[in-house]
Amino acid sequence: MHILSLKHITKHVLIENIPDPPEFYLPLYGYKGVLKTIVETGQYVKKYELLAQAEDLFSTAMHAPASGIIEGIEIIEGKPHLKLVNDFKETAIDLPLQKSVQLEPAAILEILKQYGIEGSGGARFPTHLKYNLRNEDVDVFIINGAECEPYLTADYALMQNKTEALFKSIISIQKIIKAKKVVFGIEKQNKELVTILKAFYSLCDFPVEIKLLPNTYPQGGELQLIKSITKKELPKGSRPLDHRIVLSNIGTLWAIYNALFHNKPYVERVITLSGEDAVKKGNFYVKIGTPVSHLFNLSASKKERQQIVLGGPMMGKAVTDYKSPVTKGTGGVLILPEIQNEKYNCIECGYCANACPQRLMPMEFARYAKTENTTQLLSHRLLDCIECGACAYICPSDVPLMRSIYHGKEILQNTIAL
Amino acid sequence: MNLNPHIKAKKNSVSAIMFDVIIALVPLVLAAYAAFGFTAIWLITTAVITCLVTDFLFNALYAKKYNSFLDGSAIITALLLSFTVSPLTPWYVVAFGSFCAIVFGKLLWGGLGKNRFNPALLGREFMTAFFPIMSTAAIWSTNSIRNIKDFHLFANDSLLGMYSNNLVFKTTGALGEYSMLFIVLGGLYLIIRKRISWHIPFTILTIFLCGTWISSAYDLELKYSIAGMVLGSIFMATDMPSSPNGYPGMLYYGSMIGLVSIFFILGNVRFEYLSYSILLLNGFTPFINQIFRPRAWGEKVDYAVKTEKIFLLTLAIITVALAIITLHYYDFIKYLIYIYIVYITFKFNFSFIKNIHNPI
Ligand code: SF4
Ligand code: SF4
Repeated sequence: MHILSLKHITKHVLIENIPDPPEFYLPLYGYKGVLKTIVETGQYVKKYELLAQAEDLFSTAMHAPASGIIEGIEIIEGKPHLKLVNDFKETAIDLPLQKSVQLEPAAILEILKQYGIEGSGGARFPTHLKYNLRNEDVDVFIINGAECEPYLTADYALMQNKTEALFKSIISIQKIIKAKKVVFGIEKQNKELVTILKAFYSLCDFPVEIKLLPNTYPQGGELQLIKSITKKELPKGSRPLDHRIVLSNIGTLWAIYNALFHNKPYVERVITLSGEDAVKKGNFYVKIGTPVSHLFNLSASKKERQQIVLGGPMMGKAVTDYKSPVTKGTGGVLILPEIQNEKYNCIECGYCANACPQRLMPMEFARYAKTENTTQLLSHRLLDCIECGACAYICPSDVPLMRSIYHGKEILQNTIAL
Repeated sequence: MNLNPHIKAKKNSVSAIMFDVIIALVPLVLAAYAAFGFTAIWLITTAVITCLVTDFLFNALYAKKYNSFLDGSAIITALLLSFTVSPLTPWYVVAFGSFCAIVFGKLLWGGLGKNRFNPALLGREFMTAFFPIMSTAAIWSTNSIRNIKDFHLFANDSLLGMYSNNLVFKTTGALGEYSMLFIVLGGLYLIIRKRISWHIPFTILTIFLCGTWISSAYDLELKYSIAGMVLGSIFMATDMPSSPNGYPGMLYYGSMIGLVSIFFILGNVRFEYLSYSILLLNGFTPFINQIFRPRAWGEKVDYAVKTEKIFLLTLAIITVALAIITLHYYDFIKYLIYIYIVYITFKFNFSFIKNIHNPI
């Protein structure tokens, strides 16, 4: 399905800095589970200091984005966040210096783990686990440059302006995974990147390719991207590594570069600030934990019936509490007018089924989630839904498709758990 | 709280879809006016007003929805219904048909989008069942009231010229059938606007024309109106709620309509062959949707099982078609309509009314 890309708004602006917020709310949750804080309320912490970590299988870490005082844990939208009051002194701790070029694979993985590097596309899977192979061969290392969400251009800006950094990052990762080739997947609408990327091929001692992808939504979805690049149609839930594929997101590469070459833990990322109701628009370096209220105050033309969306307009989450922060998986913050719903009956137009990247029949989810018919929900393969929102975007009747999908999945989870 | 997505496709609401269909139908109203003047306009207006009033009253009474009659679907039903009748049809018959189309064809199913059958065609069957005059040949002798006899865009002296003139304007048949050109243009407009897809009309017409061609090889002369076929396959068979919603399903559905209409014509169904075929396949649409469910991402499909299901479905459709030919022969179709009335009224009272506020 084609959707309006709205990227031109922020596509060709450079990445800029914005002032840090007076308070940070650092998310104490990651891919799975909760991070344990290792600092106390009232404690003074320096920039880059380790604040919390999880020691389970999916271990990852959270560092201070600025120096200041810890003010305890606050629950925002049902999730714990560590509040840090910025003293704007930027007193940083000394981190042991690395000689990144000479690092061994094991040492690189250790840095990724210590510095809290996570997937930046949304799911926030710990990166050191992703690259930690057990003798598997990797055929292709896919760089996900398909930012298929409208408005978002953060990855585009990185590819355009930080190309060398991204390549350095790729070369370091290649030391670990040794993929036979590296393929950039970028959308046709961004084909001007091809020449920029090609200029750096010479740095690599492995083959690099660029694959131009159609401008359809959701091209950046993991399964859709893998199909476009390798022709393999992986069922949902299967591990790309089992098919000798490793994927990484542009934002993740940037975080890896900062960790390996600038000795910086993951405390900052690039996001796009945009949206119909945003005044200040562009791509910005933003600290993890920056509450959206800070960005809203910088950018919004305040109006009635506005909403702030963390992430893209299709899959992002509308915040109810403006303290909600930018996380390591947030690619953008959008200020959008609330959409008005039409609310007609489903007219069986089939638009939703045609738009569905997973080739499901979303109207059936609406039908059977209402009656809580788990057999039908399963046989219509609700669990294959990737929650991309394409069906609800196109539905002319505004049938509550997403509500049914989430509700249906909840029912299924409960029945499976029983 | 608002769930994702936070943007919507523009100009894509139900009323926008309905408006597009109306745009595609308006030229046919003009052609009807050219052919039969105010007689035609009067019938069409009767249908539109009856449909709107019925829709409003019923929705206000049962669903407490006061503006849903404005969604445009009632107007489309009215136009399509009036397009299937002869200009000589008495106005009260059209009013009756329009009323039944809306009530028994749409509202008793629970409203917009929930109907299993095409309301306009159902309304037409109601007229035939309750007014025997509708199935006589007399109602089609329209020469006496014709407004302008013919209209010649091309010189009429060659075969090609005559043929082309007939495509542009030809004053025989039902109210919507006078201009093949406008029908096709309307269809193309809807395809370009993605309101219908080419699959259904294309397969109906291909299979149908193949069928007539094969029959002619056996010296069977088929009596049909090609403009009526095109009108029906573009505007009636593609009605969203009553037709399948995936492309493979549409191809199957279209082919079966084409095939079954040949059967009906061979079975001496004189005027109703297309509406019978469409209504028959409407009844099978949910099964078609089930069997032709698209293969989900990464799913492995057992094609042997699928083929068997398609085979059985085809068998069922053909059996029902033969049954209908028999009923038609003995003039029993009206009893089918009576049974339908009882069935749908019960269904509404005991089940559909509970879901009247459910969007699906
Ligand atoms: S949200 Fe789920 S059902 Fe809807 S289009 Fe995306 S994958 Fe398909
Ligand atoms: S897009 Fe909406 S109206 Fe159309 S079939 Fe899907 S749920 Fe029904």
